[in-house]
Amino acid sequence: MLWYKAWLETRSRFLISLLGIVALPCYLVFDQNADAQPQTPVNWYYHALDNGHRLIVVMWLAAAILLMMGGVLREKATGTISFTLALPVSRMRLMLVRILSGFSQALVLMVIPWCAMYLVSIATGRATSLSQALFHLVLLGAGGLVFFSIAVLISSVVEGEYTAPVVTFGLLFADIAGLGQSRYHSFSTWNFMIGNEYFNRSTQLLVGIPWLHVTANVAVAVLITTAAIKAIQRREF
Amino acid sequence: MIDLPVIQTHRLCKSYGSVQAVRDLSLSVRANCITGFLGRNGAGKSTTIKMLLGMIRPTSGEGAVLGNRIDAPQESVELRRRVAYVSEDKRLYNYMTVAQTIHFTSGFYSDWRPETAESLRRKYELPSDRKVKSLSKGMRTKLALLLAVARRPALLILDEPSEGLDPVGVEQLLETLVTQSAEGTAVFFSSHQIEEVERIADQVAILEQGRLLKDVSLDDVRRCYRKIDLVFSSQPNERDFQLEGVDSVQTSGCQMRVVCNANAEDVIERARALDASEIEVGPISLREVFLSAVSETSRALV
Repeated sequence: MLWYKAWLETRSRFLISLLGIVALPCYLVFDQNADAQPQTPVNWYYHALDNGHRLIVVMWLAAAILLMMGGVLREKATGTISFTLALPVSRMRLMLVRILSGFSQALVLMVIPWCAMYLVSIATGRATSLSQALFHLVLLGAGGLVFFSIAVLISSVVEGEYTAPVVTFGLLFADIAGLGQSRYHSFSTWNFMIGNEYFNRSTQLLVGIPWLHVTANVAVAVLITTAAIKAIQRREF
Repeated sequence: MIDLPVIQTHRLCKSYGSVQAVRDLSLSVRANCITGFLGRNGAGKSTTIKMLLGMIRPTSGEGAVLGNRIDAPQESVELRRRVAYVSEDKRLYNYMTVAQTIHFTSGFYSDWRPETAESLRRKYELPSDRKVKSLSKGMRTKLALLLAVARRPALLILDEPSEGLDPVGVEQLLETLVTQSAEGTAVFFSSHQIEEVERIADQVAILEQGRLLKDVSLDDVRRCYRKIDLVFSSQPNERDFQLEGVDSVQTSGCQMRVVCNANAEDVIERARALDASEIEVGPISLREVFLSAVSETSRALV
């Protein structure tokens, strides 16, 4: 039943996000077909992967942050927390269902747009590369997990109906504009997600999935999520 | 057979920094009866209820609900399976309809009674397809009550249940509570509506500034409690009436009111010995017991 609640709570946000995140990158790919650019596969990949992927990343981050806007502390702000905490379920289960349902939706928001963009590429007769698409998905998934877990943590420690997404967007901006532009840019999750660090300058394709970096991101996300669960377990309402 | 208490606390305390919301609360709530939990705003009623349900942790002391310790997370889940709770603000999920809210809640309880839920929904005139966000506070209260009683709880805890209800809604609420009690559910409800408590409660606990002032049965109040109004020729001394069984003494000029829970005869005898010109003895309402207890505490703290 908690899954049912999570779905009813987030379905509008999820479906609107899905529509936007599928439509805009697909249009970008489709529209490019009409442009008179040198249509070599490399140029095409560069355009589709760089611009299309970047657009998906931006929209996915916004969607993931908004999807994780709910949660126990927001319920405190909206006044439903007494009803939720009086249900015969542990706080751990409340958090796990919320995280897993949010993660499932975030996963759909990663995979469906990429599949759609890939299908539009095929339909419009453009060159495609499944391995490149999967490479980008790995970057989006691993980097996205960090921001997803940050959104979970912030919504678990910051009160207020809309405070958590505002703070999370602030952190995202700090990563892009601050860390991403500094000499520590290789630590920027944003840079990791858009794949800047892994482009081959001559082919303009991504080469060699950075498994170490992927593992580090997943580990950080797990730690942050665990901290969020602990924070809610200790919290008084 | 002696029923075990459904709620039992021993020296339960809750502090927020230097503020003590609940102090040394030792409370025992019996099964098979309706217990009213009276107190002014900020007396600590909601804090106590939240501790009982595991929403906040006691600073010290211990408590158990239906034999489950309130500070043990796993036992707290178990107790919430058998306890229904209607919170003070009765907020439910705005994004659900009435039918979805009922469906959602029913999934957590194996002993959910769909026919009871449906008959209450009709009685309370709750439209199935209406979103919770468009319900009035009174209708939200009725929906919360429906969710609480449709599952045959062993204990029903309500925090200010009549707030926001019109007179008809209050009647339906009180009727529902009495029916639940008759079916074997222990009812524990907080209120400042003393008349409601007096109408349906068997037992009353009065809380003031986090302390339990009284835990009495209404039968005892009716049988043993008396107010004695006295008139003297000169201003009497309150100390003369600090006798066993005297709850409070209030003086205004030459007049004095003594509230006692026993030994009214001793008070009358003392008044006669002090040449009281008028002595009037009468029964006392719960409102008067409450006001007398609260004012006595306030005076003691000044």
